[in-house]
Amino acid sequence: MRLDPRPGERIDRSEPIRFTFEGKLVEGFAGDTIGSALYAGGRRVFSRSFKYHRPRGLLCCSGACPNCMMEVDGVPNVRVCVAPAHEGAVVKAQNVRGSLERDLMAATDKFGGPFTPVGFYYRTMIRPRAAWPLFEKFLRSAAGLGTIDKHARRTGRYDVEHRHADVLVIGGGSAGLEAARAAAASGEHVVVVDENAPRGDAPGGLELLAPATALGIYEGGLVPVAAGRILYKVRAKRIVVATGALEQPVIFPGNDLVGIVLPEAVRRLVHDFSIRPGEKAVVLAADDDALAIADDLRDAGTQVLEVVDLRNGPHRISASGTKGRLNGVGVEGVRYNCDLVVASGGRQPAYSLLAQAGATVAYDEGRGVFVPRDLPANVEAVGSVTGEGTGSIAPAKTLLGDKTFVCLCEDVTEKDVKRAIAEGFDSIELAKRYTTVTMGPCQGRLCHLASVRMYARETKQGEDAIGTTTARPPWSPVELGLLAGRPHEPGKRTSIHHRHKEAGATMMWTGSWRRPHSYGDPAAEARAVHESAGLIDVSTLGKLVVRGPEAAVFLERIYPNRFADLKPGRIRYAVLGTDGGRIMDDGTVARIDDETFYVTTTSTGAEGVIEWFEWWNAIWKLDLSIVDVTGAVAAVNLAGPQARELLGPLTDVDLAPDAFKYLDAKQGKVAGVPTLLLRIGFVGELGYELHFPSPHGETVWDALAATGATPFGLEPQRILRLEKMHVLIGQDTDSESNALEASMPWIVKFEKDEFVGKWALEHVQERGMRDRLVGFEMQNGSVPPEGGAVVRDGRLAGRVTSARFSEQLGRAIGLAWVPEELAVEDADITLRVSAGLERAKVRLRPFFDPEGERLRS
Amino acid sequence: MKDIFRVRRMWRPRSELKPRYDVVIVGGGTHGLATAYYLAKNHGITNVAVLEKSYIGSGAAGRNTTIIRANYRTPEGAEFYKKSVELYEELGADLDFNLLFSQQGHLTLAHSDRGIITATERAEVNQLLGIDSRVIGRDEIRELCPEMDLSDDVTWPVMAALYHPRGGIIRHDAVVWGYARGVDRRGIEIHPYTEVTGIDRENGRVTGVQTNRGPISCGTVISATAGWSTLVCDLADVPLPITTHILQAFVTEPMKPFLDVIIVSSQMHVYISQTDRGEFLIGAEIEPYTTYRGTSTFPFLEFAARHTLELFPQLERVKVLRQWTGLCDVSPDYSPILGKTEVEGFHVSAGWGTYGFKAAPIVGTTLAELVATGDTPALIQPFELERFYTDTLVSEVAAAAVSH
Ligand SMILES: Cc1cc2nc3c(=O)[nH]c(=O)nc-3n(C[C@H](O)[C@H](O)[C@H](O)COP(=O)(O)OP(=O)(O)OC[C@H]3O[C@@H](n4cnc5c(N)ncnc54)[C@H](O)[C@@H]3O)c2cc1C
Ligand code: FES
Repeated sequence: MRLDPRPGERIDRSEPIRFTFEGKLVEGFAGDTIGSALYAGGRRVFSRSFKYHRPRGLLCCSGACPNCMMEVDGVPNVRVCVAPAHEGAVVKAQNVRGSLERDLMAATDKFGGPFTPVGFYYRTMIRPRAAWPLFEKFLRSAAGLGTIDKHARRTGRYDVEHRHADVLVIGGGSAGLEAARAAAASGEHVVVVDENAPRGDAPGGLELLAPATALGIYEGGLVPVAAGRILYKVRAKRIVVATGALEQPVIFPGNDLVGIVLPEAVRRLVHDFSIRPGEKAVVLAADDDALAIADDLRDAGTQVLEVVDLRNGPHRISASGTKGRLNGVGVEGVRYNCDLVVASGGRQPAYSLLAQAGATVAYDEGRGVFVPRDLPANVEAVGSVTGEGTGSIAPAKTLLGDKTFVCLCEDVTEKDVKRAIAEGFDSIELAKRYTTVTMGPCQGRLCHLASVRMYARETKQGEDAIGTTTARPPWSPVELGLLAGRPHEPGKRTSIHHRHKEAGATMMWTGSWRRPHSYGDPAAEARAVHESAGLIDVSTLGKLVVRGPEAAVFLERIYPNRFADLKPGRIRYAVLGTDGGRIMDDGTVARIDDETFYVTTTSTGAEGVIEWFEWWNAIWKLDLSIVDVTGAVAAVNLAGPQARELLGPLTDVDLAPDAFKYLDAKQGKVAGVPTLLLRIGFVGELGYELHFPSPHGETVWDALAATGATPFGLEPQRILRLEKMHVLIGQDTDSESNALEASMPWIVKFEKDEFVGKWALEHVQERGMRDRLVGFEMQNGSVPPEGGAVVRDGRLAGRVTSARFSEQLGRAIGLAWVPEELAVEDADITLRVSAGLERAKVRLRPFFDPEGERLRS
Repeated sequence: MKDIFRVRRMWRPRSELKPRYDVVIVGGGTHGLATAYYLAKNHGITNVAVLEKSYIGSGAAGRNTTIIRANYRTPEGAEFYKKSVELYEELGADLDFNLLFSQQGHLTLAHSDRGIITATERAEVNQLLGIDSRVIGRDEIRELCPEMDLSDDVTWPVMAALYHPRGGIIRHDAVVWGYARGVDRRGIEIHPYTEVTGIDRENGRVTGVQTNRGPISCGTVISATAGWSTLVCDLADVPLPITTHILQAFVTEPMKPFLDVIIVSSQMHVYISQTDRGEFLIGAEIEPYTTYRGTSTFPFLEFAARHTLELFPQLERVKVLRQWTGLCDVSPDYSPILGKTEVEGFHVSAGWGTYGFKAAPIVGTTLAELVATGDTPALIQPFELERFYTDTLVSEVAAAAVSH
């Protein structure tokens, strides 16, 4: 029931707000939360509990407990007591079958259900095993709170902002603000974070983020702050934690009945929303602040029947109700008929952020609470989070009566805790996992202290011996959407990307790049390369410039192949190995001049290669620099018997076979663009790989396309390279492959003094070859799956790594790993194709142009 | 039903340490407890102590994301894990403890043709060994998981998946407690809060251990210390080719059933399941740096959340409740290191990286057999530490490791 207007209320009575709850109209005012509007309208039951489906009402009214979770506009698990009411909101109850007042699942409270008593499910439904999936289905549907809308889409309105401050104050209560003001007064830039909506303007000189929640204090002092749809990443030189203390429930039979609230709920209902919380009330409290709530109640017109100071020794308390709603409470044998009990067992410092930052947590015997100690550098604590002014009472031995809850989120009762102890779960961490106390949505805010104290009482140990459980971030539940930010994942595109799209290419992924699979007819594109000329965008290749007086020494040491003797203007194939002799990547190395090398890597391997180079040079400290030009340089490959004729008119470089030989590198202009021309041939025909500044991608592409060269995609390229038995690192090799067994012994120069992985390759040489990468040709036309098995005597003997049908050859061909004894020309091998077996012959030389005449032509 | 309301102790309170045991097992995670269990059950060896420096299940056993599957890449691995899955299927009945084993099925997504090759490779190996595992296309994926975003206009379109119907998740703590109870009932002692600080040897043979509660003499020591393996093996001067990394995970608030199959995307480095409690359990790959410091990081949350929503945009407003980390003992080939070491009587179970939980029953069975017979069972011979000296690695890594 709404009171007359009061000073300081947060509602604006001139602005009514209407929304629906379970289809019925609810009226409130601007400034109301959904919870306060519902409460003002007379609603008392807000949810049904997790296991027993007991009715639950507002408890904390400050977003800390599980009691008021509802579905709002399709979003489940919204704490309506702090969710602002807005016009047209559609609010529904969750986790009920029927309605909040009549929940069919409530029978579990009386007769037991799938979760009762504690650990019940571990001891039942074991046999027959065949019945378990059915039980499980039932368990699953009974568990869980809210329902997810299966058709929900991303809304995409999330952002991240960064804040750098001298001081970050977490908690805008009196202690926090005082610290903030002091810091601001001395000229420091101060950011204050507070969970509650601000009242009026922020105090001068401070930046106030509110309502907002600090999620944790992470490594490097990073404090992510959730503020609606903005995630602030705050980094401050100094962090002041002023998170205050959390009011704790009192443990007694019936302590979860609707109408039993924490003092904070009364403060908010009365002062913020001008609502009379109840008609007749009893106050049970363990500190002066909480006892003073009686005045607020009277002020709101509630009749206060009794005020009990729980610090005066243990009290026997028991509450009773009808249909889950409080109708009275007994204290020391005296019964009070009332609809409201304000109960507080004291206040526990809200130390979680500090613990997460690295502080230790110790039990303060005198106060009866856990307090933070040994704060990490640059983190301070002020106010009641330090323990100042806090305290709690020990849970009293309870009477017979209704269930006594220790943990509301998980519906864990005192009996459950006792049972866990009796069963031998004799450390708090074990008990927590068995009973699930503290593992629910309140993150232990309202149950951790009580469970530890009950544990201490039952096992007759001190709370300090019991200890705490680990505080795990985040401090408050946070939406995945906010963490994820805007729904985008950068994919890389070359500067010629749009030309491919225009030409109707189907795109595919290679690593983080998007590349054309083909332009419609892979076989025809491959044919064009063999017969005339083709054009492919290879800008995705990793490209590095290694330059310096010792660049040659560096490459000589890092690669198994020789590079010191590479002449300027020449190119060599390069396979990079790990220190364990495994193949890591491949590419080409062109020597531009004495001190400059241009290194290409695979499309997916670029980052790894750069890291690898830098790692080694951090050790060797050779005089050179490594520059990644992958994005700055575009590259296309023009290949085919007509490549020379087509390129000639576009370039000032002499392409004559004698002047520009196979594996030469030359600089000149192509279509007016400065270009590095590499004469190499991954696809097995005469070819020029042109490297030039990315911004000219389309210019050069267009000029080459205009000559009549056929654009070809990755798929035809794969057919072509397979015809040449050129290996795709990462597909034909895996993390254990070495260059010797991958049939590339010629790139390993054992005569070099030292190179990365030399010892390992020497070891391979010593132990002898076990498996080998070979070519194969199917005996009938079928193409085995890539990844398919090579089978011998019914067991796996090797793997197919690549396979295609080559129109050029009229055969299905491929590469496979086979045992060494089968690595001979013409050997018969058996491959698994569509779960049947097919025969193939081993081939050791390239299927197409084995002598490489066309490459050199 | 009689057991529902009867209160029985799961295990005896910790006793005093005896001066001598036949076998000392270091580590009270799933591997240590399983080994103890099968020593007693299969071989009648019960003069055994399990020493755990904290509470049982405090390590990776109680932190992992509980995926159990057999669809590994190498024949050695697949055969080994297949055996383990079979043991898990019977384990609840064997231990008389419901482990809430939820064999929902397991999908490893392929987002590229490279991904499909890796999936095919595994399916082929699996099928040859009689493991139910196959590559399926989008239509079948849609039937199994209609909620997943299978559209083309996403960053990582789902092109195919490796489907393993018997893959599942389980309640990890129940496995720990079920084994612990079985171990205790068979007379073996479990000693929580007992840390091994030294391993005594004479002439290359183990003779006992030092602990924070005093020395123990024994003929056999088994290190089942997962993330702490390198430290414990150092005590016996046995170097391991292992680096220790952290792996992180988080759960959301419990929701009504939404997802009935385990989704793993190694390309997006994320995996997602929904537990019987209704929580979404989400994890990623190991952090690239080595550390023993178990602090959770924020970038992990952002990264895993982003990728989760790419697959399941409906979860945008679902809230993360809790994040945590665990240690992972990563071996170079992503296969375990099991059995004998150069110190006689000192055996190890290590190199479990991000995948060791599913192996607990088979590790326990085979290590128990090794202790009882003195011979390394054939199933684990490929995983001997020796392989790093003979260069016979068992690579589960492929192009990219799929490790859960
Ligand atoms: C986040 C995460 C997710 C994972 N997900 C999966 C998954 O989905 N599927 C899967 O199969 N695997 C998974 N794993 C891996 C799996 O959890 C581990 O490989 C496995 O649990 C290791 O075996 P364990 O249970 O015996 O180890 P642990 O539980 O770590 O046991 C080792 C024990 O040794 C104790 N110890 C250490 N040193 C000493 C000492 N000196 N003295 C006495 N005791 C000592 C430790 O306290 C610890 O309890 C995951 C791991 C993590 C961290
Ligand atoms: S009443 Fe809303 S969270 Fe406690």
